[in-house]
Amino acid sequence: MTQLVWNGLFVGSFYALVALGYSMVYGIIKLLNFAHGDLYMLGAFVGFAILGAVGGVSPSMALPLLLVVLLATMVVTGLAGVALERIAYRPLRRAPRLSLLITAVGASFALEYGMRAVAGADPQVYPVRLGGTAMEVLGARLTLQQLVLMGVAVVLMIALNLLVTRTREGRAMRAIALDPRTSALMGINVNSVISRTFFVGSALAGAAGVMAGAYYGKIDFMMGFLIGLKAFTAAVIGGIGNIPGTMLGGLLLGLLESFGTYWLGGEWRDVFAFGVLILFLTVRPTGLLGERVTERV
Amino acid sequence: MRAIPLKSLASLAVLGLLATGCGQGLLGGGDSGDQAAKKDGPILLGMLIPQSGSEAAIGPYMSNAAQLAVDEINAKGGVLGRQLELKTADDACDAQSAAAGANKLVTEEVDLSVGGYCSGATLPTLPIFGKANIPMIIPAANSQELVDQKLKHVFLINGTGSQQAMAAEKWITKQGAKSVALMHDNTSYSKDIAVRTQTLLEVPGGAEPVITEAVTPKESDYSANITNVLDKKPDFVYWTGYFQEGGLIARQLRQAGYKGSIMVGDGSVSPKLMEIAGAEAAEGVYATMTQTPDTLEGAEGWIAAYKKKYNADPGPYSNQAYDAVRLAAEAVTKAGGTDGAKVIAALEAIDGFPMFSGPLKFTPEHTLASGGFQILVVKGDKFALQDALK
Repeated sequence: MTQLVWNGLFVGSFYALVALGYSMVYGIIKLLNFAHGDLYMLGAFVGFAILGAVGGVSPSMALPLLLVVLLATMVVTGLAGVALERIAYRPLRRAPRLSLLITAVGASFALEYGMRAVAGADPQVYPVRLGGTAMEVLGARLTLQQLVLMGVAVVLMIALNLLVTRTREGRAMRAIALDPRTSALMGINVNSVISRTFFVGSALAGAAGVMAGAYYGKIDFMMGFLIGLKAFTAAVIGGIGNIPGTMLGGLLLGLLESFGTYWLGGEWRDVFAFGVLILFLTVRPTGLLGERVTERV
Repeated sequence: MRAIPLKSLASLAVLGLLATGCGQGLLGGGDSGDQAAKKDGPILLGMLIPQSGSEAAIGPYMSNAAQLAVDEINAKGGVLGRQLELKTADDACDAQSAAAGANKLVTEEVDLSVGGYCSGATLPTLPIFGKANIPMIIPAANSQELVDQKLKHVFLINGTGSQQAMAAEKWITKQGAKSVALMHDNTSYSKDIAVRTQTLLEVPGGAEPVITEAVTPKESDYSANITNVLDKKPDFVYWTGYFQEGGLIARQLRQAGYKGSIMVGDGSVSPKLMEIAGAEAAEGVYATMTQTPDTLEGAEGWIAAYKKKYNADPGPYSNQAYDAVRLAAEAVTKAGGTDGAKVIAALEAIDGFPMFSGPLKFTPEHTLASGGFQILVVKGDKFALQDALK
C-alpha cells in the first residue's frame, strides 16, 4: 500500500510541475497552451544537449552537475516559452478564443516535428543517469535520487507559490488574471508580465523534462504529448488557474493512476484516470480548489 | 499540384500493366509455341522487396541472398534441367507500389513469388498472384492477416506470433520457471503474443502464468504496472512489446528489486534496449527472436560465401530470402514442373526440408509447424545466441 502511495506521489510530482505552467498561463490569459507539454520535451532535449557538450563525468559528480544543467535548461526553455508567446500568441490575443487554441495546437506540432527534424525520430538516452540503490521505508522501496528529485520539485513549487502570493510581480500577475484592461490602467505593463509568466511556467516544464530525462533515461520527440494531456487533467482536477489546487491535482492524478492500475489492471488505468476527469468536469468544473469565476462582461 | 499528374501517370502505368497482363493471358492459351519455349527456358522467380522508401535498406539483403541461392542451384545444374532466374520489383513498403510491382511480375510470367517483407505491402499482392495461379513463399512478412484469409497459394516461412509464443513457452519451461508474468503494450501484435503464451502456459504442471499486465506505450514511468506484477511474486517476466518500453521496464523491474529472469519479444531486439535499460539491468535479458545471420548456428560457410560474392555482411532476412529460393526449387522439383496447383501440393507435402529455421513442415494454415524462433541473451552490448530451440 505504501508502495502504491509512493509511486503515485513520485509520478504526481512530475505531473504537478508541468501542470503548474498550464495553470498559470490559463489563469492569466485564459489560454490552454497545448504546446506546454512540448516545452517539457524541449527541456529534456536541451538538458541532453548540454550534458553531451560537457562530456563524461564521474558518478559522484552526477548530481551536482545535473542541478547546474537543470538551472541552465530552465533558462533556455523559459526563453523558448517567452518566444512562443511573443510569436504565436500575442498577435492573437484579441482574436476569438478558438483561434488561439488552434494556434496552440499548431505550436505543439511545430515543436514536436521540429525536434524530430533536428534530433531524429529515434529515442535518445541520457548520458548521466540517476539510478541508485533502493531502500525500504515503511514498506515502500524508494531511492535517494527519487527523494532528491521530489525535493527539487517541492522547492520549485514552494518558490513559485511565494513568487505569486508574496511579491509585486505576483500581485501584478494576479491583477492581470482578474482584469487585464484595468491592470493596464493602473500602470502595470501587461505584456511584460505575461511574458514573465510564460518564462516561469516554461522553466518549470523544462525542469521537469530534465528530471525525467535523468531519471528515466529515455527521451524522444513525442514525450511531451502524453504528459501534456496528463498535466491538463491534473490542472482541471485541482482547479485550473489556482496554484495550490494544481499541485494537489498533479499529486492526486498520480495517486489515481497508481491505485487505478492496482485495482483494475494496467489496461484500465487511463480509463479510470480520464473518467475521473470527466466526472470533475461535469460535477465540479472549477476543480478541487478552484473558485467559481463570475462571468465578466 | 504536381502530385496529380504524377499520380495519374502512375495509375495509367498500372492500367497499362493490367491491360498487358490480361492480353497475354487471353492470347497465351492459343499460343502453344510460346509455351513450348517456356518449358525449356528458365524458371522465373519473382521477388517483391522494398528498394526505395523507408525500408529500402532491407531490399539488398534479401535480393542478394536470393541471388546467391539462385547461383548455387544453377551451378549444380538448375531445377529439372532448367536454370533459375530471379526477377525483382520494388514494393517501397507501400500497398500501391506493391500492387503495381506484383502486376509487373505477373506480366513477366514469373512462376513463383519468393518476396514480401512489409506485411502491409504484401497483403494487396496476395490476390494478384493468386489470380495468376502463382504460389507465394513469403520470406519475411509475418502478420497474422496474411494467413487469416486461408489462401491456398500463400506460405509463410518467417515465424508468426503463435510460433513466438511457442518458443517463449518452451524456454520458460526449460528454465524451470514457477510463476510467469506476461506484459504487453495493448497493441494487437504484442497482446497476441502475450495471450498465446498465457494459453500455452495454462496447461497444468510446469510454469503458471500469474498475471498478464497491459501498459500504456510511450510513457516513462511504469512503476504502477511493475508494483502490480511484483505483487504476484513472479520468477519470470516476459515483455512482448517494443524496445523503448522494454528498456524502461527492464530497468524499473531491477530498480524495484526484481531478481528473476526477464525476457523480451522480437520487437525489443535492438541495441537501444541496452542503452535505455543501462548495461547493468540489460545484462542477461533473454529475447525470443527469428534467426538473423549473426545468430545462426553452423552458417559460417554461408556467411563467407555471401561476403565473398557481395563484399558485405548479410543482414536481417537474408537467411529467410535464401531459404525461400531453395524451397521454391525443391517444390518445383517435387512437383515435376511449375504448374501452380502441383507446386502448392508439393509445398504442402514437404516434411523435414532443411532450412536455417530448422526442418520445414507447414501447418494446415501454411505457417511453420515448428522453429522460426530462437532464444537470444544480452551479453555486454549485444544480443548473442543462447538456445536455438531445435
